[in-house]
Amino acid sequence: MNLELPPRRINIIQGEFKVSNDPNVVITTILGSCVAACIRDPSAGVGGMNHFLLPGSTEALAAGGDATRYGVHLMELLINGLLKQGARKDRMEAKIFGGAKTIASFSNVGAQNAEFAVRFLRDEGISVVGSSTGGEHGRKLEFWPVSGRARQHALTGVETQRTVALETRPVAPAPKPAADTSVEFF
Amino acid sequence: MSIAEKIKVLIVDDQVTSRLLLSDALTQLGFKQITVAGDGEQGYKIMSQAPHHLVISDFNMPKMDGLGFLQAVRTNPATKKAAFIMLTAQGDRALVQKAAQLGANNVLAKPFTIEKMKAAIEAVFGSLK
Repeated sequence: MNLELPPRRINIIQGEFKVSNDPNVVITTILGSCVAACIRDPSAGVGGMNHFLLPGSTEALAAGGDATRYGVHLMELLINGLLKQGARKDRMEAKIFGGAKTIASFSNVGAQNAEFAVRFLRDEGISVVGSSTGGEHGRKLEFWPVSGRARQHALTGVETQRTVALETRPVAPAPKPAADTSVEFF
Repeated sequence: MSIAEKIKVLIVDDQVTSRLLLSDALTQLGFKQITVAGDGEQGYKIMSQAPHHLVISDFNMPKMDGLGFLQAVRTNPATKKAAFIMLTAQGDRALVQKAAQLGANNVLAKPFTIEKMKAAIEAVFGSLK
């Protein structure tokens, strides 16, 4: 008799992140030009994934500013979520996925997003132990946050186009902070 | 000399990238005297030795978090008059209320825009020009 439970799948979309210390959880997402950072602390047995696409043109991304702050925010949310569950920054390791250069997007925003993630992790002293970025096809990604195992499947051309169309539709440029936090009390 | 140039600012954040971005934003706003620290403990040490006019601190940090740091700054007679802006990636009402009780001048949610940061600073110091 097989008593192994089926994995609990948690799907995230652009602008979201998820942290878990449940070995039975697998976090999934679908990436076109977007990038997902999968970070875990092997000693604490906790890991997580985010999924972001920095808004703006490649020029704007290169110049830093608000677009970069948005990406930093999503990385920070993931790292803070891991710290809350007992992770330590000096033990964290990361894998990076996504950032495809798709036909639909002539500019190479995907590469810029992947470069941003690599640069951020390097600056924060988090080692990158695996990555699969670029290419012309989107990815379906699965990440087991406790073991650190990651598995990806290449999307077909049609699936990639559909994913990129979803990624590039107009959305709010940044995750809305809780309304409460905008309270000013001078 | 502009007002911004006269203000000594201390940035406290455990993320290198966040410190760099904030430092860049403040430089764009005309600030020239910028010091950085990686956590509340280090920030408080700097404040005790050389009080700064303005502190911009993250909330979620190891060792001493933003609220602990704010409390320490407000308790020390040498530093208690500093303007204090708290930044938070995961804000909630309880945090904002606690920060207000402890004497923060403002709480800004990340990611902030340069305009928002400018408005928050000008609300304390007036025009930065």
